[in-house]
Amino acid sequence: MPPIPTKSEIRNRYLLMKPSPSTGAGLYIHVPFCTSVCLYCDFAVTIAGEERRNAWAVGVVREAEMYADCGLTFDTIYLGGGTPSSVVPERLDSIFVGLRGQLEINEGAVCYLEANPEDVTLETTTLWRQLGVDVVSLGVQSFDDEALGFLGRQHSASVALAAVEILLAAGFHTVSVDLIYGLSGQTPGGWKAQLARAVSLGIDHLSCYQLTFHEDTLFGRRLAHGLIEQVPEREQAELFFLTHEVLADAGFEGYEVSNFAAATRHRSRHNQKYWDHTPYLGLGPSAHSLANGRRWWNRRKVRQWQTAVDSGRPPIEDEERPSREELLLEALMLGLRTTDGVDLNRICERHGIDLLATNAATIDRFCKSGHLHMDESRLRPTLTGLAIADTLARSFNL
Amino acid sequence: MDDIRSFCIIAHIDHGKSTLADRLIQHCGAVTDREFRDQILDSMDIERERGITIKSNTVTLEYTARDGRTYRLNLIDTPGHVDFSHEVRRSLMSCEGALLLVDAAQGVEAQTVANLYLALEYDLEMVPVINKIDLPAADVERVKEEIEEDLGLDADDAVLCSAKTGDGIEEVLEAIIQRLPPPAGDPEAPLQALIFDAQYDPYRGVVLLVRVMEGSLRRGQKILLMHTGKEYDVEEVGLLQLKRVKTDELAAGMVGYVIAGVKAVSEIAVGDTITDVEAPADAPLPGYKEAKSVVFSSIYPMSTEEYPELIKALEKLKLNDAALTYEKDSSAALGFGFRCGFLGLLHLEVVQERLRREYDLSLILSAPSVRYRITLTDGQELWVDNPSLYPDPGSIDGAEEPYIKASVMMPERYVGAVMELCRDRRGENTTFSYLAVGRVELTSEMPLAEVIFDFYDRLKSVTQGYGSFDYEMIDYRPTDLVKVDILVNAEVVDALSQLVHRDKARARALHYCERLADTIPRQQFKIAIQGAVGGDIIARKTINAYRKDVTAKCYGGDISRKRKLLEKQKKGKKRMKMVGAVEIPQSAFVAVLKTDRD
Repeated sequence: MPPIPTKSEIRNRYLLMKPSPSTGAGLYIHVPFCTSVCLYCDFAVTIAGEERRNAWAVGVVREAEMYADCGLTFDTIYLGGGTPSSVVPERLDSIFVGLRGQLEINEGAVCYLEANPEDVTLETTTLWRQLGVDVVSLGVQSFDDEALGFLGRQHSASVALAAVEILLAAGFHTVSVDLIYGLSGQTPGGWKAQLARAVSLGIDHLSCYQLTFHEDTLFGRRLAHGLIEQVPEREQAELFFLTHEVLADAGFEGYEVSNFAAATRHRSRHNQKYWDHTPYLGLGPSAHSLANGRRWWNRRKVRQWQTAVDSGRPPIEDEERPSREELLLEALMLGLRTTDGVDLNRICERHGIDLLATNAATIDRFCKSGHLHMDESRLRPTLTGLAIADTLARSFNL
Repeated sequence: MDDIRSFCIIAHIDHGKSTLADRLIQHCGAVTDREFRDQILDSMDIERERGITIKSNTVTLEYTARDGRTYRLNLIDTPGHVDFSHEVRRSLMSCEGALLLVDAAQGVEAQTVANLYLALEYDLEMVPVINKIDLPAADVERVKEEIEEDLGLDADDAVLCSAKTGDGIEEVLEAIIQRLPPPAGDPEAPLQALIFDAQYDPYRGVVLLVRVMEGSLRRGQKILLMHTGKEYDVEEVGLLQLKRVKTDELAAGMVGYVIAGVKAVSEIAVGDTITDVEAPADAPLPGYKEAKSVVFSSIYPMSTEEYPELIKALEKLKLNDAALTYEKDSSAALGFGFRCGFLGLLHLEVVQERLRREYDLSLILSAPSVRYRITLTDGQELWVDNPSLYPDPGSIDGAEEPYIKASVMMPERYVGAVMELCRDRRGENTTFSYLAVGRVELTSEMPLAEVIFDFYDRLKSVTQGYGSFDYEMIDYRPTDLVKVDILVNAEVVDALSQLVHRDKARARALHYCERLADTIPRQQFKIAIQGAVGGDIIARKTINAYRKDVTAKCYGGDISRKRKLLEKQKKGKKRMKMVGAVEIPQSAFVAVLKTDRD
């Protein structure tokens, strides 16, 4: 671990960045609190009382203070977690006020909030609107009570449906729903019905994640001990393609492996920054940042993060400066997850390598096999290509 | 000469041979307690781990007996596997007697019988020793009965001991001096010294371990090795007392070492006879047999960058292992490597393990093969042990393969199963005879190729470990040989080609296809794995394509973790071997060579 930098070192090290001419930076705030921990989740979360929640909210602003005058202008703010919707609106308000006092945040910055259905009421949604929240990402996960129980969620399908209705009525720019697929025993027909249900609600955006078994979660351990089963790869692939086909038929654009927008304006502008190396600053435990050619990340444990910010020290766990090859690999790995693909001219400008010349055989092979296609200077994955984006990225000689 | 005794310990595996040796060494004070480590004589890691002795080690102990005299005891350690039987024989020739060690709980086992018979061939005096009498399951009376009935030895004379606790060790030593004969031989006669082992010392060159039968060996003497015909000047002679201790001479009856400017073990032959150039003996000692490679396999470094290291490692191994032979080889799939010759499969495994552990090399080995004699239609004769050198079948008039006479000793109840195994392995002229009540020796003439595949494992399995196995080469016999190729997406993987009997071709090809299908990871296209003889496909397996490998989530900004994962996979990919567009991991090459042990 590097020695902990001082505030002025932070500024010199991370923040002497050129503001991106076209897009602003992203601001991420990690809310490490949940009312219960989902069995599949591997995010940094904890169940804590009001006192610790309050200390965290104060800490986020103190952390932002360390990045004051950093030269970044933010045009997205994303509250992720954890369960941001479980933070009482007054506390959210104080955080927003605090952040605006420390950081350069655009007037029209888009504000995202992840919410659990049980937290969505007429009252909270009104307050969120007043706080300037534009996009709500609702963690529905399933419209099936049995599946919700299996996942360890606290809400029922009817609560989720009611929450969607409330959100749609509240006039947000974008209402998005998260679903999980690939649960053991799920049939293509069953999953199709889930998707149809979601589409019928008239939402603007969908994120469909395949259930992932992380080693350190209860699910991961259950899998390792043979207590639950993973859906075979062949069926996973089938569900993946089904998702894209069904949603395309319903008019949703599958612009990323797991993300679908009813119209281009509903795409996630914030997530896009992660995918194309736009700078972002993460505040709160475990939050990651990228700027000035460096990546750094915060202490994952809430208490350690809290102790650091309380004593005025940056809560940074570690940092890295990706090499040219590493950045290239990232650009491919991230770009090929999106239907926009990678712009080879831009890669050439940024990293000084002409992939079309250095990887002609690879590109040709995957174009012939129907996984990639060239669209002017863009190398775009087809749907079958999206499904093997990891293989595609790995196949390049960098 | 009356105060010398030369002996070895013969035992079934795990009956405590090394522990007993350790205890004898300790009792005679050849090693201080501080220096003591278990199984002193088994110096290679691989020997300690597997509990077997591959290179024999020898030690001379000084023991002051109850009669007040000090005796010099030569404990000659013997290797314990059929591949090394020529070494066992050389060791036995150096002894006058043997301790026959039997586990007090397990009793007489197949290997005990086999080893006893070998020892009796050399006319050794036997002292039965019942070990592990401290075990709760020890049943000395039953074991004594077995010794009398199965081995035909007088069990009343058996010495009881526990090498573990040290109980009875002095009785063992007393039995050695009282019951084993001292060596014969005349120190004034023309020199005849048997080389029973050789070790390589990086500073001194080759150290010959010898038993002087007649005459004496001393520093400055000009010596002749009677089989190789080479002459040397003796630089040093001495005793092996865990470390080398210089002496003026080694006289008839003594066991010790000779350093005589021999550069590599391969220059000399174990079993050769040393004589004096000035006053040579009339004839060498009997029983000399050249160690011959009978099993061949190509060794490739996993990464081509390791090739120079492999060259160096083989050169060094060769200094210490005369039986290993090698020459350059190459494969389209695996790059440059070496075609190596071995005494047998265990020898192959030992070499592979030593390359891996002592030289830190990761290797791929091709399927082991025997050496075939091929007659071409133009009358020309070829020796082929490498499938890549197999001539065009159209030009072949006939092929012959080496046969062995296998000898299996086992309790009577396994005869049926072993006969079936021999029949399955194309055994001919299978006969059996009773060695004693309930114990049977079965002999069968079998192609060596059938034995090197997995015969020993199968034998152990069908006899539940009671079968012992020994073999000798007998002759070459006509065979119906074909070359089986393995194709991955229509490309031949040359390193997997092999020569097999036509009747076995389909089964072997299928076995390979199945193993490859299990170990080659699925790729984004379908992979066909086929076994073929000439243009005929005789086995086939398919690996279905995967259609999805992308992870669901890639946001929250933790890009590093995901990138590192990809980097790791990319690195793994570099270690893969490309056959056409198919990536084949090293594990696949290793797995196909493993046999089914279910």
